[in-house]
Amino acid sequence: MHTFPRPAEATVSVAREPVEGECAACGAQELRSYPVLSEGGWFRVVKCQRCLVSKSREPWNLAGSITFLSEQV
Amino acid sequence: MLGVDVGGTFTDVVAFRDGRIVTTKVPTDTREPERGVLQGAEELGVDDAAVFNHASTAGVNAIITRRLPKVAFLTTEGHRDILDIGRAWRPLSAMTDPTWRRSFGDAASPLVPRYLRRGIAERMTASGEEAIALDEDQAREQLQVLSRCDGVQGVAVCLLNAYVDARHEVRLRELVAEELGDGVECSISSDVSPLAKEYARASTTVVDVFMKIIYSRYTERLGSGLREMGFGGRLNFADCAAMLVDSDFAMQAPFRIVFSGPAAGTVSGAHFGGLIGDENLLCADVGGTSCDISLVTAGQPFVQTEFELEHDLVVNALSNEISSIGAGGGSIVSISPAGEMRVGPASAGADPGPACYGKGGTEPTLTDACLLMGILDAERFAAGRMALDAAAAQNAFEGLETSIDPDQRAPQAYLMGLNNIAEGIVDIAVKHGVDPRDYSLLAYGAAGGMLLPAALELVHARRVIVPPHPGLFSALGLLSSDLVYADSRSAYTVLTPDAAGPVDEVYRQMEDGLRERLGADAHDVRFERSMDARLVGQTWDTPFIPVPQDTIDAAAIETMIESFHVAYQERAGNRFDALPVQGVTYRVQAIVPVDKVSYPHSDRREGQSLQASRTIQLRDLDGSTYESEEYERDDLRAGDRIEGPAVIREELSTTRVGTGQTATVGDYGEIVIEQGGGR
Amino acid sequence: MSTVETGTQAEQPLLRDIPEDEFEARYGCDRFTATVLANRYRYTVEHMCAGLLSNAFSIILRDWYDFAATIAGPPRDNYSMPAVSNSLVLFLGTMTDAIRNTVQEYGPEKLRPGDVLMCNDPYRTGTHVNDVNFVRPIFHEEEIAGFVNLQAHMLDMGGVVPGGFSGTKRNVYENGVVIAPQLLYAEDRAVTSGWSLIFDNARFGDVLLPDIKTIYENLRLGERLLSETLERYGIRAFHGAMRYACDIAGEAMHHALRALPDGDYAGEDRIDCDGVDDEEEFTVRVTIRKRGGRAEVDLSGSSRQARTSINAGWLDAKTAVGVAFKFLIDRETPFTSATFRDIDIVLPDGSLVSALPPDGAIFLYWESTMPLVNAILRALEDAVGERAVGGDYGSLSIHSASGATADGTPWATMAQCGGEHGPWGATSTGDADSYNVFYLANNIDPATEAIEADFPVLVMRKEYVADTAGAGYHRGGAAVLKDTLWTEGVEHYSSPMHVKSASGFGVGGGGDGRNGAVWVFEPEAFDPSALIPDTPEAYAGTTPVAGVLDPETHALREDGEYFFFARVPMWQTEPNTVFRYLTNGGGGWGNPFERDPERVKRDVRDGYVTIEGAERDYGVVITGDPDRDPEGLEIDSAATEAKRAEPAG
Repeated sequence: MHTFPRPAEATVSVAREPVEGECAACGAQELRSYPVLSEGGWFRVVKCQRCLVSKSREPWNLAGSITFLSEQV
Repeated sequence: MLGVDVGGTFTDVVAFRDGRIVTTKVPTDTREPERGVLQGAEELGVDDAAVFNHASTAGVNAIITRRLPKVAFLTTEGHRDILDIGRAWRPLSAMTDPTWRRSFGDAASPLVPRYLRRGIAERMTASGEEAIALDEDQAREQLQVLSRCDGVQGVAVCLLNAYVDARHEVRLRELVAEELGDGVECSISSDVSPLAKEYARASTTVVDVFMKIIYSRYTERLGSGLREMGFGGRLNFADCAAMLVDSDFAMQAPFRIVFSGPAAGTVSGAHFGGLIGDENLLCADVGGTSCDISLVTAGQPFVQTEFELEHDLVVNALSNEISSIGAGGGSIVSISPAGEMRVGPASAGADPGPACYGKGGTEPTLTDACLLMGILDAERFAAGRMALDAAAAQNAFEGLETSIDPDQRAPQAYLMGLNNIAEGIVDIAVKHGVDPRDYSLLAYGAAGGMLLPAALELVHARRVIVPPHPGLFSALGLLSSDLVYADSRSAYTVLTPDAAGPVDEVYRQMEDGLRERLGADAHDVRFERSMDARLVGQTWDTPFIPVPQDTIDAAAIETMIESFHVAYQERAGNRFDALPVQGVTYRVQAIVPVDKVSYPHSDRREGQSLQASRTIQLRDLDGSTYESEEYERDDLRAGDRIEGPAVIREELSTTRVGTGQTATVGDYGEIVIEQGGGR
Repeated sequence: MSTVETGTQAEQPLLRDIPEDEFEARYGCDRFTATVLANRYRYTVEHMCAGLLSNAFSIILRDWYDFAATIAGPPRDNYSMPAVSNSLVLFLGTMTDAIRNTVQEYGPEKLRPGDVLMCNDPYRTGTHVNDVNFVRPIFHEEEIAGFVNLQAHMLDMGGVVPGGFSGTKRNVYENGVVIAPQLLYAEDRAVTSGWSLIFDNARFGDVLLPDIKTIYENLRLGERLLSETLERYGIRAFHGAMRYACDIAGEAMHHALRALPDGDYAGEDRIDCDGVDDEEEFTVRVTIRKRGGRAEVDLSGSSRQARTSINAGWLDAKTAVGVAFKFLIDRETPFTSATFRDIDIVLPDGSLVSALPPDGAIFLYWESTMPLVNAILRALEDAVGERAVGGDYGSLSIHSASGATADGTPWATMAQCGGEHGPWGATSTGDADSYNVFYLANNIDPATEAIEADFPVLVMRKEYVADTAGAGYHRGGAAVLKDTLWTEGVEHYSSPMHVKSASGFGVGGGGDGRNGAVWVFEPEAFDPSALIPDTPEAYAGTTPVAGVLDPETHALREDGEYFFFARVPMWQTEPNTVFRYLTNGGGGWGNPFERDPERVKRDVRDGYVTIEGAERDYGVVITGDPDRDPEGLEIDSAATEAKRAEPAG
């Protein structure tokens, strides 16, 4: 198993990276990229922050950001 | 001999006289139930009857509807919430429902409200030591609080560890009589059900005191009413396993008769199965609101050591295990929000009943589906006493909000109802590890014959058997049982040679007690011993391990241990010789054999072959119609053979033989339906 | 595989309205068959559970119902889960992902008929190491048609604490053996290395062996039932009905979400500290953004993971979110993988409920996901209106004890003598019960007489306490007081996690339930010939385990001092010592000053509320003696009217 250190800050947050472009559903220019957990597991999404419609949803790692050392064998 | 089964709506009366079965059905008088019983008895005549065997759902109905007398509950101080806690768990359907509440809890409808549950300063330990002495002054104070309350009619007493040592309970019963008077009924748990685990013992004791109050006057009135009619025989009550006990004896521990109706059907099945040489049965009683399913293996009903009146409302009584599926003739057909067709669990009951009864019901039911499919005859329902209204049934189905083709709705509802029943049957088979292919499906209740043959393919049972008098078959169970007097006692004992003395003493005490109570019957009696036991470290028991009948010595203990391992392997698939066995509950049954009903033989046909009375139209699953022969059950003779599709009609019931099925008539008039060409 | 969503979902036709030919095209069978098969799947998992329940050996399976069965679709349907047994709520949400992660890591192409896979890693499959997933593929013409699965609690899985129940383990190495996805059976032959991995690392192997064999038999039962179904209805209908069952659940949640007003909602709840010190409080914070039929649940701002095994994993967080939403807005539809179809969870790494290996040890995971449920119930309190739900007792305050009998035989009790059961919050339908299993679980309460027959302990009290329930138009459940008298020298672990702030919060104007605490009464601190009273004076000579208490009298005091539970990691007690657990009270629903005075009188009569409490919390003035003359109580109507007319505050 990989070693993940305990976060140094007392609280933890997900960063939402801004993405250029317009929401196809509502037209807002508020797209952001971040991982989400939903039906089907983890996804990396680009999602409108106003109406929550996803511009894209790419399946991500099985356990999200947790990876396993055995993958490197 | 007579049998009377008092249901919520009807009282069924059956008699066996001069080799013939005579039956009648009268409405139940819910206010004064003995009147309906006496009316039925009068119709069939009792003056020459040797026994009058009685089962009733009055007790369970009083509890379920909470039309109950006021009683109090005394327990060890610090534990008065036992009755509110139950065993804490919620039913499967409430898994994600925060609005769920315990039906018998203080927040819903308690059997005994909290202020009438009083703590008594005392404490016994699990090994029978007195940790805190009984504080009689404190106890009297608590009883005086009850005497200030208006009209307390009974007191149930259940102290912690009283199954080990009863002295505090016995003394409290005396104090109850002194403080509240003899007119107040009192049940103590060490008498009622001296078994470990306080909640079940407490709830059983509360049920017992209710039944004492409800049944004692009833029994008196019934007894005197029967005597006035010239009845000189013996009045017996059926218990929850449909075993019969003398009414006086029954009234000493009346919790055992709280739920005595449905079990009779299983016993009836076991008895009839023995007669026709078919000892493995899945019994299915399809009535108006539900389908009650039970199991008979090698001629024996499956008996359980406790059962529930409502979710987690436990009674420690031997009972036939019966599981109820909400699929009967009155089950309502509806469309779920997702557009799925559903059948039950809601029921139209007897009033207003199915839409086709024309009594104001507007929702379609399984009975309406059967009528529209042609399985039921509108003119001949319930022996022609009630004409069915097909247009009303049609309207009800058309009123469903669904895109399903109107012609297919009734057949689909019929199939969905069948499907529910089939899953229920498979469930009970799986639970008991039996393969339905080794079992016959015994179909009774008024709606059994019209539904269950079609379930044959879904269940993979060997065959369907529709017995004679399917509508009154349960009541016939009251004429199919022995008199059985039972006692039991819990005492955790690791089975070693040293345990022989104490275990022997337990059995001797119980058997001496039964002999004394049996009086004149004692010379015919056969005792049967068993125990519930477990491996040391387990918290649940394996019930009904056989126990030798003679003096329990070291050799007998060896035999008991071996019997446990054999039974455990049979039931759980493993054997653990290295682990010690612990006896938990010791049981004795005193069995007094009595005469039972015998079914008249059906003669073989001579001369002309069986003729259909006419040809009728049935509706198929896709909505199309096809032709079917119609027969009269009274015309059938042993050996007759009918190819499906066919419909067989009798006074209170209809049997449907599906396409590709064959029905043959057995020696006692039973209809045996098999898939394919049959025998 | 990538998908793009366009437009809003408003135009989606309801499943019930789509024409029959379109239905057949989508689901490979007619509507009726789909309904029958969806039922069949639910029954199949129930049959599997019935078989396990009747034959399992260990009490944890038999009494705690600590297992669940599911069916999963084939890899190409992404292991969608059309049916889950109604056993342990905690497993509902983890199992779909658990099966996918187990099979994908092992490699679906390597699976053969008759194989059984297992995996127990909390970071891969959720819950804790004692819960092992057993996965059996169902084949149809050489291809995987689906899976039947059982996840079941094993009595032990190694690690430094027997049985594992402890909030003090500091990393995965102390926690227990981790089983990565691997075979337990290959083509119905036992794989010895798999069995040995368990037996060589876990205690109580002689109990585990028959339990696992029973599980195997019930996987085979599930396989047989599904194979019969496949044979009869064909593969298209088989898969179509799986999708259909999921779509129904997805649609139900979608419509429930649409009915909620759009908005951003925030809520939080916390546990007191971890097992290292009481310097750091742990908060679970949610922000729920709801637009149309979609919701996003963001846990950003939540506390980082704890230093001991009270953490939960990412799949436990997912389960808690699903259960909380179902509790509030979709109570009746069966739970499937599609419950989450329109819910995205935004979950930061390394939080209390998404702990990371190896230092974010996970064991008492429910202690951390209960605050997550509470945070969501709180966040949506106003949005759901009447359907708001108050909090439950918030922590199991789980108690374990061990010792040895006179002849040296060791004994151990787990989760029997602490505050494992307690009250729920009230809802719009009425008052709450006072003795339930917590929202996320379900099981049977062990009988006092069974505990006393097995262990050197007397349960002296197990009773509700007046004025502890959250007041309300509907009252919350009352707190449970449990006294256990240990007659021999014993070692105890006690983990009360939620006594600083109210877990049983009220909703819609209802009051909070009172906070609980845990105390030890040494032999000299009480009179053994009677029950220990429940008065503020009774605690003077006690040693508090946890609670916010008066530093002198040790009685409950809202502005008192917090006593840290793990300052003594293991409590070693003399014979005749009493442990007292007082749970938190459940939250009330609605304004208590509008509760019918007759109902308040009934509560006074029944000892749920005192005469003083009736006046203070409900504005109802009652006269009489509830203890000695319960039916003689009277409501002073004039005084009540005056009291209720007083300005709030």
